Amino acid sequence: MKPSLIGDLAVYGKYSLVNWMKIIILVVRHGPFDVIRDIRRYPWILVLLQVNSLMWRFIRGRTGRYREATAVVMSDIVSSVIRMMEDVFFRGNRLVIHEDMVPPEIMRAMGLAPFMTELMGILMPMIKPHSVENYIDASENEGIPPDICSLPKSTMGLALKGHLPPALAVVTSNLPCDGGMSSYMLIEKKLKLPVFRLDIPYNFDTDRAVKYFAGELRRMIDWLEAHTPGRMDWERLREICEERNKMLEYELELWDMIRIRPAPLAGEPVWLSHMWNFNVTPGSPASTRIYKRITEMGRKNLEEGVSSIKDERYRALLWNPPMIHFIDIYNWAEKTYGISLIMDSMTFNRIPMIDTGTQDSMLEGLGRTIMAGPMARHTRGPAKNYLDDIFHIHKHFDIDMVWVAGHIGCKNTQALNGMLRELCRRESIPLLIINYDLSDPRIVSREGIIEQIDHFMENIMKAEKMAS
Amino acid sequence: MGLASSGVTYYGGCDVGSTTGKAVILNRDGIAATAVIPSEIDPAETAEKVLNEALKGIDGLRDIRDLAYLIGTGYGRNEVPFANENISEISCHAMGTHYCDPDIRTIIDIGGQDVKAVSIDEHGAVLEFVMNDKCAAGTGRFLEMMSRIFRMDLDAFSELSLKAGKKIAITSQCSVFAETEVISLLSKRKPPEEIAAGIQASVAKRSFTLLKKVGIQPAVAATGGCAKNKGLIAALTAYLRQDIKPLPVDPQLVGALGAAVSAQRKA
Repeated sequence: MKPSLIGDLAVYGKYSLVNWMKIIILVVRHGPFDVIRDIRRYPWILVLLQVNSLMWRFIRGRTGRYREATAVVMSDIVSSVIRMMEDVFFRGNRLVIHEDMVPPEIMRAMGLAPFMTELMGILMPMIKPHSVENYIDASENEGIPPDICSLPKSTMGLALKGHLPPALAVVTSNLPCDGGMSSYMLIEKKLKLPVFRLDIPYNFDTDRAVKYFAGELRRMIDWLEAHTPGRMDWERLREICEERNKMLEYELELWDMIRIRPAPLAGEPVWLSHMWNFNVTPGSPASTRIYKRITEMGRKNLEEGVSSIKDERYRALLWNPPMIHFIDIYNWAEKTYGISLIMDSMTFNRIPMIDTGTQDSMLEGLGRTIMAGPMARHTRGPAKNYLDDIFHIHKHFDIDMVWVAGHIGCKNTQALNGMLRELCRRESIPLLIINYDLSDPRIVSREGIIEQIDHFMENIMKAEKMAS
Repeated sequence: MGLASSGVTYYGGCDVGSTTGKAVILNRDGIAATAVIPSEIDPAETAEKVLNEALKGIDGLRDIRDLAYLIGTGYGRNEVPFANENISEISCHAMGTHYCDPDIRTIIDIGGQDVKAVSIDEHGAVLEFVMNDKCAAGTGRFLEMMSRIFRMDLDAFSELSLKAGKKIAITSQCSVFAETEVISLLSKRKPPEEIAAGIQASVAKRSFTLLKKVGIQPAVAATGGCAKNKGLIAALTAYLRQDIKPLPVDPQLVGALGAAVSAQRKA
């Protein structure tokens, strides 16, 4: 299939229109006056209602199936954000606030509506780059040290300003970092809700740790049954885990495809689809369908020898969470330097399929997904986990350069980056450590990030900018 | 075009920095002329003025357009009039240093408003770099501020610091707070030379931290206007525990020289 201008315009028009329709239906269903009332109470709703603005930023300049795959992912996210708002509007009696290291699959199997607070601090700057600054400031004004990660500061700010929706309970964990963990002490104090803390073992790569964490998950289920109307439906959990396995199968096929140079797909169809579907809506049939469609498009591109970007000059790995307030960095890098951002630390995982044979095997499998997940696996040590994955990806995906999103608030990775620098020097792998703050563009702006990349591309890669 | 009335071909490099504008004109025999001027608000004006200043040093070369090839560098590199192209100052400092001394492998460029540590290979190509352009502490501007507190120019401040037998550590991480700290120390009648040495050490330590990030391979050279500050170089040498190799040209001109060398190679 040869990309055409009309076809590309139609893709944007079709998906954009459908997304806006979904948003309008939500507003009508909830009632425009109630929506206005809720926006006054929870101002982040207004930001979330603009989620479709991401569409253009992601697909701009892309053509053919790559454009459509990006639009498909974006459409999925719009649907998912709407479901999240529906949970807040209509399912408040089932809402459980949870931290991003708690598996939402269990809460869904219990008939609860999980609300991941960290998602606000991630999604809002993606949509409007400056939108969490007031929450960060609110935290600092209450005495939270400025050098704490801006993501938990955003979450704490939401709680301090009374912008978290009413919920039944809070479930959190001792991961991924001290800042994240301690933020729930403030949230607990502020919301005055019952709180459960999952104890995730430090040395996670042993059978004993897996069994211990599965026990913790069982304790969490008992606790949720005691504090919420949710009841564990093990058959439902099995369906969710099986659906998750199917999604992982598609993802592994997609990863096999993007090893090939030039990659048939890259960017958001690889990273954003993972971030959303494996962390926010894992195990939903809709997520599996999205992965199936993306994988099919990648397969067709591969069969026809179509590259995701017209002129793939470089292949990059982005390590650490993506720059959420410069979320179209992948699109910018493609157009400016012909860089395909192939893989990233939040996407890459070594998580096996979940064995759905017994209750214990499911809990152990879910436990593994958390313990061996990106933030847990990479930031707690040993350093080997962080470094080995980078060098494995470099080789496996034929990467030309490593970009590290050097989030100033992430103390866990600062020392690791020093070691990485030395190892990359030894292996002659070009390495760029980008100074920035995850959620706060006042620390380093979009322009400041671009300047760092430009310096690197010119001085180290000797790259010339693509003709616009 | 490209030939002076004398028939000699000249190549230009113009480094428009935040504090000064520098120009170097090369011919086949080496450096033919140089100039340094304080930066104007308009980078294009700085470039034009400094290039014209350098042209004055060459008989028969009257116009910027007579240069066979001109490369702009520095923060105002896009504004250099009649430039054939512009190159990042990181690559220019690498090239300029390599041209001066091919044994150099590590460079610390301490400029007016930023600091860069660069490692280079045997051809003068950049292998790795790190820069601090977010914090004034550790830059030439910081030293200027400090010397003003002492009511001295930078040369005298540098000499003063070299007289100290020991140094008083400046602990503030921020240039604004460091200024307050220094004023406070002076008002307590602490020896000015020891305070000055402490200030130099604080800048040197920041440079050393950057250098460690790129890996310190001998020989090490210092470039940029601050490399002329003997007190700072002495303090940095103490942290490095190895000599900083002096360059045969004014270290402030190295970026412009690198641009001129690149111009000569590209013409």
